[in-house]
Amino acid sequence: MTISELLSQYGEKYIQALLTTWQLTALSFAGALVIGIIITVMRVCPIKPLRIFGDLYVQIFRNIPGASLLIVLVYALPNLNIILSYYQCVLTATTMIPAAFCSEYLMSGIDAIGIGQIEAARSLGMTFGTMMRKVVIPQAVRFSVLPMTNLLIATMLTTSLASQVPLNPKDLTGLVSYINTRDVGGVTSFLISSIMYCGTAVIIGQIGSFIDKKVRIIR
Amino acid sequence: MNSEVNVTEKDSDKTIVELKHVEKYYGELHALKDINLQVKKGEVVVLIGPSGSGKSTLCRTINRLESINSGEILIEGKKLPEGGAELAGLRAEIGMVFQSFNLFAHKSILDNVCMGPVDVLHRPKEEVKKEAMELLKRVGVDSQAQKMPAQLSGGQQQRAAIARSLAMHPKVMLFDEPTSALDPEMIQEVLDVMIELANEGMTMIVVTHEMNFARRVADRVVFMADGAIVEENTPEEFFTAPKSERAKEFLESINRH
Repeated sequence: MTISELLSQYGEKYIQALLTTWQLTALSFAGALVIGIIITVMRVCPIKPLRIFGDLYVQIFRNIPGASLLIVLVYALPNLNIILSYYQCVLTATTMIPAAFCSEYLMSGIDAIGIGQIEAARSLGMTFGTMMRKVVIPQAVRFSVLPMTNLLIATMLTTSLASQVPLNPKDLTGLVSYINTRDVGGVTSFLISSIMYCGTAVIIGQIGSFIDKKVRIIR
Repeated sequence: MNSEVNVTEKDSDKTIVELKHVEKYYGELHALKDINLQVKKGEVVVLIGPSGSGKSTLCRTINRLESINSGEILIEGKKLPEGGAELAGLRAEIGMVFQSFNLFAHKSILDNVCMGPVDVLHRPKEEVKKEAMELLKRVGVDSQAQKMPAQLSGGQQQRAAIARSLAMHPKVMLFDEPTSALDPEMIQEVLDVMIELANEGMTMIVVTHEMNFARRVADRVVFMADGAIVEENTPEEFFTAPKSERAKEFLESINRH
């Protein structure tokens, strides 16, 4: 099939799939940021069991293949009487894994702050929570804008996991495999979705470097 | 200037900081050996000694940036808490000025000064801002208030850091080698601020290599070597007639260059 044939037949579905991919990406990334910050605070807090839990979380979810996690969520959770919809399973997988990377980037951001400012904050009488909110997290986030931009792109690519479960509407990769089981879309059907992936990534990259320039700390 | 005269001038016998038999180890290294020290209200105590003698460590134990293995540290007669909100509350009353300034890099100079009073003492922002500007004026960096720390010279940053400490109205201020990271031409502007503070009656514990400052401002010089206090004396006597061999050697090694 040619591009114009594909577009005339599946154009609307492509748009729908792009929106689904965007939605999964946005929800996953927002969740990953929240979980990533919580895990990071655990990893630097004075309470040892929380530190161990945080490190453990990162070690597990940084090292588990996305597809394996999705299979566990779909097939194993029902054994624990936890039944999630396919959409929720995908969303969980595409949130938990980026959250681990998010925490790693924040940790290197914290390293970049340096012990001196931490000691200054403690000397002023800040509690751990105040120090985190006012000194550490704001700077760690600023230091990690560029890695976070890459993480957002990686999260989008990870949402292609959604193609492995029956979803309606489908994500971009899911749509490609849907088309090819019905028609001979061939590489062209993938070309359209990859243009959509790339276009989104370019926009994310531009916004990321814009934000980075805005918030960068002069050193 | 005689130290006893000074103390009566500053009219107080109230002990602000007291260390009793303080011991600290870094693994095998015996970093602080049976440290006993009293600092009275309004006193300026200068800690000097060769590098590695434990003077910075001693300074940092007073607000528990360094923990101790045994002994006691009392602030206004109360034992220094080991952690938690109590320790944070006590740290709020002890000013600290670092060798590397340690201003918060993501905040303007003015915000750096306001943060302690606003976020720790929960004072109203407008009132704090006004006071912060006055403090910045006092240390001579009010024209830089809206700039970020990295846009200032080292001397200006250190003076801003002193203002940040002063904003908390500390009972005592600790200076941990405040001029060691500065270019020579900027040392005096920081020392001038410290001299002014001392003259106004601030209780100060100062770790420094600036012997002229020690001579001029200190009520008492505490000389340390190998983790122990070797000699405590008035600056006049310490610099002209040191009692211990270690102090003599140290002063000679300084005067050689």
